[in-house]
Amino acid sequence: MSEFVETISRSEDGRFLELLIGPQHPASGHMRLVAEVDGDVVVSLRPNLGYVHRSVEKIAEVKKFLQIIPLVERPSLADTTANNLAYVLALERLLGVEPPPRAQYLRTLLAEINRIHSHFYGIGIHGVMIGSSTAFMWAFGDREPLIHLAQELTGARITYSYIIPGGVRRDMPPDFPDKVEKVLRYIERRLEDYDKLYVRNPVVRARLEGVGVLKKEDAIRLGITGPNLRASGVPYDVRKADPYCAYPDIDFNVITREEGDAMARFLVRVGEIRESMKIIRQVLKKMPDGPIFAEKYYKMLPPNLKKYYEETKEVKFPGIFANLRAPAGESVARVEGGRGEVVIYIVSKGGMNPYRFRIVTPSFRNAVLFEHLVRNVRVADIPAIYGSLDYFPPEADR
Amino acid sequence: MVCGLKGMMWVGNLEKAARKAAVWLVNKRPIRDIRDWGISFSLWPVHFTTACCGAEFAATSAPKYDAERFGFLPFVASRQCNLLLIEGTLTKKMAKAALWVYEQMPEPKFVIAMGACAIDGGIFWNSYNIVRPMDILPVSVFIPGCPPRPEAVAQAIIMLQKKIRKGELVKYEEMEVVK
Ligand code: SF4
Repeated sequence: MSEFVETISRSEDGRFLELLIGPQHPASGHMRLVAEVDGDVVVSLRPNLGYVHRSVEKIAEVKKFLQIIPLVERPSLADTTANNLAYVLALERLLGVEPPPRAQYLRTLLAEINRIHSHFYGIGIHGVMIGSSTAFMWAFGDREPLIHLAQELTGARITYSYIIPGGVRRDMPPDFPDKVEKVLRYIERRLEDYDKLYVRNPVVRARLEGVGVLKKEDAIRLGITGPNLRASGVPYDVRKADPYCAYPDIDFNVITREEGDAMARFLVRVGEIRESMKIIRQVLKKMPDGPIFAEKYYKMLPPNLKKYYEETKEVKFPGIFANLRAPAGESVARVEGGRGEVVIYIVSKGGMNPYRFRIVTPSFRNAVLFEHLVRNVRVADIPAIYGSLDYFPPEADR
Repeated sequence: MVCGLKGMMWVGNLEKAARKAAVWLVNKRPIRDIRDWGISFSLWPVHFTTACCGAEFAATSAPKYDAERFGFLPFVASRQCNLLLIEGTLTKKMAKAALWVYEQMPEPKFVIAMGACAIDGGIFWNSYNIVRPMDILPVSVFIPGCPPRPEAVAQAIIMLQKKIRKGELVKYEEMEVVK
């Protein structure tokens, strides 16, 4: 216990205090921050991670390929589609299956809906950290209509497990595009309110502008991805750099900003919400007809499940799929999630489980970034910087 | 201590007697019910996120589900809270912190375990790094689900309130009022 009780110690010359913050702290990240402070200025900060290490990679080695789908979603619960998609893309490359075009579009649709609500989640948590509960209430309230949409599409609130090898689990309901349009119009209206209340709010500007500036070279050197990288002026987005699903056919911009401070990171997220809405509208307009499930696997379904699929457009796997075997080999896939690039790497030896499973998440890079940014800043800026990174601890610790 | 009252002599410790009387009083019927009723509507969960269920916990406090109407408002400092909500998996490293937070909270205090992970490991049942909360904390209500929907969290709050109002959970005798 003494490890917890001694929370403050002094450096030898008595000038610096070592302050232990967390893991139970207002920012409520599951990490402990070891900050060395000189008065009110943080000289250096070392995040102590590992509070949510649940050994996802090791467990994946004893799970069957289909059972891993829910498992990879758990590390990043606010942005499950990205992990789900990255895993299934890697697995499909190993199995040599190609999903039909309609499934590609449905995947893109869900990924973008998820991106918007994941960004709202980030904005809300950031709001709490800088003491603006209005932002939390608004962002979390506005997240709900999108969750509701996703729920209608997939049947679950946030853990969708919608994307399966060879396609998606369900087809879109017939009146879905109208509902989406309604929600998108609502979000558009709300974004204007955010502009008035949050973006142009002098208190918020004072807390965020010029705080935690990340230079372009540093961002590249530290290997940062996602909105945090784009806020420093690097137009890198996996959707453009290595297109997957329906992204090659879709026209959208990569939002960047030059400032690299906490405000820029926030504004990039808001800009991406707008771009995602654009993508969703295009996806719904261009959505091709056809099957949602690869022919190769459709043939393997027993007659009753085939009939079920024809009637309801829902895919149900028979028991034999649990014993899906992937041929020996390696495969890697990357997608752009809400927080950045998610990379999944599978090594298979031809059995029912992967031999080695590796998942690289954007949040771990953000932990490195956090240590880099909190240097010679005020103690009160720690939450402002921490929140602006949209750090999700289970994702970093895995 | 000796004190005189209208010519009679009372011998004993007045302070101790007063405390005993207070305990007797708050455990008597109408007062006890009022006390339990009051406690059930002022549940302050401490801001202590242990794993991914925290995402749904946050949604519970947000506008659509609005747990504040049950008198349930997350708060920062463990010294001012009376409810510890274990939000999902408890890893070994986090379990130490959870115990520490729990010990800091004043009596009466309650524990809710949220998520399949907090019941028996859930999807991580065979992980080498998890602890079952019920092994280290006195859990009153479990919420199944992975993650539980916000409605389920709301129901757990109501269940806890009912338990408190039935007088099952708060006992003043145990609360070291009498020293
Ligand atoms: S129950 Fe599910 S959502 Fe909750 S912590 Fe466990 S894995 Fe995460």
